[in-house]
Amino acid sequence: MTLQRLGNVLDMPCGEAHSRPHWSTPLERSGRWDRALGKGAHVKGWRGLAVGAAALAVAVAGCGTSTNEGSGNSGEPKTLTVWLMDGSAPTTLTDALHKEFQDSHSGVTVKYEIQKWPGIQEKLTTALSSNNPPDVIELGNTQTAKFAAEETLLDLSGDAADLNGDQWLGGLKDSLTWDGKQYGMPFYAANRTVVYRTDLFQAAGIQDTPKSRDEWIAAIEKLKTANAADPEFQSLYLPGQSWYSLLSFIWDEGGDVAKAQGSAWAGALNTPEAKAGLDFYKKLVDTSATKAPKDTDEATPQQYEIFAKGKVGMMIALPWELASAIKADPTLEGKTAAFPIPSKTAGKTAPVFLGGSNVAVPAGSKNQDLAKEYLKLLSSKKYQDQLAEGGAVPGTSTDTAKLATSPLGKALAESAPNGKVTPTVPSWAAVEAGQNPLKDMLTAYLTGAKSLDQATSDANSALSETLGG
Amino acid sequence: MTAVHTTDAAVPTNSSAPRRAARGGAPRRRGSAFDRLLPYLLLAPALIGILWLIGWPVLSLLVTSFRRLNLRELTRGEVVWVGLDNYAEILGNPDFWTITARTIAFTVAVVGVSVLAGLLIALLMRQVSPVVRILLQVAMLLAWAMPLLAATTVYQWIFDQQYGILNKTLVELGFESFAGFSWFTTGTSTLSVIGLLIVWQAIPFLAFSLYAGAIGIPRDQYEAAALDGATSWQTFRNVTWPELRPLLLMVTFLSLLWDFKVFAQIWAFKKGGPDGASTTLPVYQYLEGISKSHFGVAAAVSVVMMVLLGLLTFQYLRRLLRQEGTL
Amino acid sequence: MTGKKVAGNVVAIVIALFFAFPTYWMVTSAFKPTLDLRSTSYDLIPLSVTATNFATAWTKPGFLDSLGNSLLVTLSAVFGAIVVGLLAALAMARMRFRGRKGFVLLMLVAQMAPFEALLIPMFLMMRDLDLLDRLPSLALIYFAVTLPFCAWTLRGFVNGIPLELEEAAMVDGCGRWGAFRRVTLPLLGPGLVATSVFAFVTAWNEFLFALSLIKDQGKETLPVWLAGFQSNFGVDWGGAMAASVLFTLPVLVFFLVVQRKMVTGVTAGAVKG
Repeated sequence: MTLQRLGNVLDMPCGEAHSRPHWSTPLERSGRWDRALGKGAHVKGWRGLAVGAAALAVAVAGCGTSTNEGSGNSGEPKTLTVWLMDGSAPTTLTDALHKEFQDSHSGVTVKYEIQKWPGIQEKLTTALSSNNPPDVIELGNTQTAKFAAEETLLDLSGDAADLNGDQWLGGLKDSLTWDGKQYGMPFYAANRTVVYRTDLFQAAGIQDTPKSRDEWIAAIEKLKTANAADPEFQSLYLPGQSWYSLLSFIWDEGGDVAKAQGSAWAGALNTPEAKAGLDFYKKLVDTSATKAPKDTDEATPQQYEIFAKGKVGMMIALPWELASAIKADPTLEGKTAAFPIPSKTAGKTAPVFLGGSNVAVPAGSKNQDLAKEYLKLLSSKKYQDQLAEGGAVPGTSTDTAKLATSPLGKALAESAPNGKVTPTVPSWAAVEAGQNPLKDMLTAYLTGAKSLDQATSDANSALSETLGG
Repeated sequence: MTAVHTTDAAVPTNSSAPRRAARGGAPRRRGSAFDRLLPYLLLAPALIGILWLIGWPVLSLLVTSFRRLNLRELTRGEVVWVGLDNYAEILGNPDFWTITARTIAFTVAVVGVSVLAGLLIALLMRQVSPVVRILLQVAMLLAWAMPLLAATTVYQWIFDQQYGILNKTLVELGFESFAGFSWFTTGTSTLSVIGLLIVWQAIPFLAFSLYAGAIGIPRDQYEAAALDGATSWQTFRNVTWPELRPLLLMVTFLSLLWDFKVFAQIWAFKKGGPDGASTTLPVYQYLEGISKSHFGVAAAVSVVMMVLLGLLTFQYLRRLLRQEGTL
Repeated sequence: MTGKKVAGNVVAIVIALFFAFPTYWMVTSAFKPTLDLRSTSYDLIPLSVTATNFATAWTKPGFLDSLGNSLLVTLSAVFGAIVVGLLAALAMARMRFRGRKGFVLLMLVAQMAPFEALLIPMFLMMRDLDLLDRLPSLALIYFAVTLPFCAWTLRGFVNGIPLELEEAAMVDGCGRWGAFRRVTLPLLGPGLVATSVFAFVTAWNEFLFALSLIKDQGKETLPVWLAGFQSNFGVDWGGAMAASVLFTLPVLVFFLVVQRKMVTGVTAGAVKG
């Protein structure tokens, strides 16, 4: 290495141009300035700092936090923070609702934020633990128990009368009741029905919609025969992990996924009823020879997208999926309808999973009275009707007339009273947020990886374990 | 003057800073307070930052692992001590050991592949023409920078059973058995696909770093080796390897830490399935923590993870600290 | 020698193609109409293209805001981590002082902490500091998380620069600072590139903390905004891909800028031989 080249690079402006000695003294390539310059630093100061910081941390770690209960002074301009979930309430509804609320409460502004479902668990956990949580939140009905049991929500039992308590949708009411108290108000619900192509049914010679399981199987076979020429045709599109549909079949048999034993819950998947439900699911998959993957649910790939391609006869779907399918392929308009999931007993409809949400007030909210008034307004018939018009089953109104205007709505209204929810136990939220044993069980059984008994037994242990925690 | 300079730089004495000498005066013994404090001044911001923003939370995590911290305790600020219960729960869980073994095996495989590939690509980058190099760098950069959601989705699409381009291409090439083939039936195959994604996003950093190190190797050493008639392998072993080794060990160490802790990709693919077969320790920690809101147990899992990492990297750490001591 | 070079170039191009393929897939998906995303026909080259997804992504509310937020948070975190990390790296690599071993150990151990596990403790800390729902809290966290890595890596790179060069500069009357500025810094160029890009990408793509610590939707960062393409009505994949493409562009820009400024270091390094 020559210093001359180095000098060129450095383009020495600093220091005069000395004659440079050739560097021959070998130095370790340790790269240490102080060794080169002869320094020896021996100050110890950082260690003490570290110890102090640690002590402080330990002392503070045990400190609790103060929860602020706010009642607020009246007369100050207030903001009511409302968090509703994406896709819940139509914009027309929320606009009208907020305008009316602000008009009737002077000095109050509604800060409305639409929250997205991904990551909502984390978001709610941190939001409810912060110093100023939102005042009104929407919780999925399967999540409500968890938050209620941990005492993060306001008890609304005393106010139920104000909120149309007698008209609350049974399934939703169950989902927000904990320890005998109501910790929220039902918002809306929707359940699955069998969406089908009316034109394909006609072409296959199916006169009436199936009213029993046998008729359903028969319809599948008729569709299959009528479209045998098309290798891509599927009479029923049913992915392997559509566990909400499985719930319907299990409930229809009289079974359940879990049963309460005193205050503890245990899985009930290894009962003959549950096994019969699982068997029927397999029968549907095998009879229709659906090409849907056996290891994903209806979202991957999006079920409605496959339906929209036009080569599917039926799918077990929620109302929005049909709407999205029509949006993707407008030619489907007018060619679709729905019927309730048939029961094994002719003439009855199978119990359905009532998906939906509740609205609640966080315990740490600073505007609790205002929040309750907001809920009161929301529960009024005017807005509940708007929910029904939007295609959902209203939570605090038994009037579903507005809903039954479309064929899908009619099927919805017919099946909703027979709606049930998953066990109202806080640990259920963990089943959905974690690894769902029901999904694994379905895939294992449908792919033949496990026998019926093995699959149900394994899933049952996993479920019991999660519920117990 | 020349003699003075030589003495200054070569002999370790408590002499003054060169800048004084440069001004033409005789070297003065300058108050070395500033010089003694300098390292600490330089370190102070980093030290404060790390102790406060990482040290405290980690300590808090350790403390939490001895508490029961579920949602109720979190929102109400209650403190409930449960001693070693959380640890007993974890270590007593038979799945825990399977999960740990799986995590270690997965980590070693991913680290091995990415470091080796990164090294080879780094060496390759030295040889190619600048245009090709920039192309390669940009391709790698885009891989590195792709948002997680997009990356996992694209990979899932590529490996999709029905509509994936991979299966379709294989069928086109004549491998009929791949029509509708599912890449996610077993834990091993699922982890392989996830591993591919991670390796794909990990190599760029390794390649860039090793390249940065490799171009620092003085060229005359290579010229000397060429003159001696060394083969590529000999050149590599005697010139490149010794120079690159510290850096290589360091990035391997870092890769080990990161790949061990990988969570988001595994979760996004199959949530640790099928049937828990691709669950690793970070996934387990998430399941206990955010999913079940058992933050005390999750903290215990984190502590166990850190201990494991310490054990895995123990040799490297010891060596490094010993080296530090001699310097 | 040319033959070897050609072979090398070919191999490099093949590797580049392998790396670029998923990116290619992301970009072409962004241009495909939604229904084409699941197609049974062989669609290595898109069957049809549309620009609607980009329009959706661009006009989706919050894009520019979250872009700005991400840039602010990421750039400040990166700047902080590089500067502070470099200072610490210099101290660790070039100076001897009591407690050096301990500090090095601290750097290493700090990187072992599982990131997701720190969510609750950091959340509590930010809450008590009343920094919740403020972007500086995110910047601080990203700074803290990338700092040990930056300090550690830069230390490695500084170690790799022969001391003789700095000494020579100091002999020429540069002084420690001058030597640093004229010798060390340019030679650290490639190392700084790798480190700062790493810090940038880490902060840019981070999702969990950004989601949990920021409630106000006006202060969202890009990853959180991107997750918004997953709605209750399924995922708008075309839009999400288009948004991801837009999302990746700033990183590319950052790299090209940093790369060009640092390339002088490469030239200086070449002279070293």
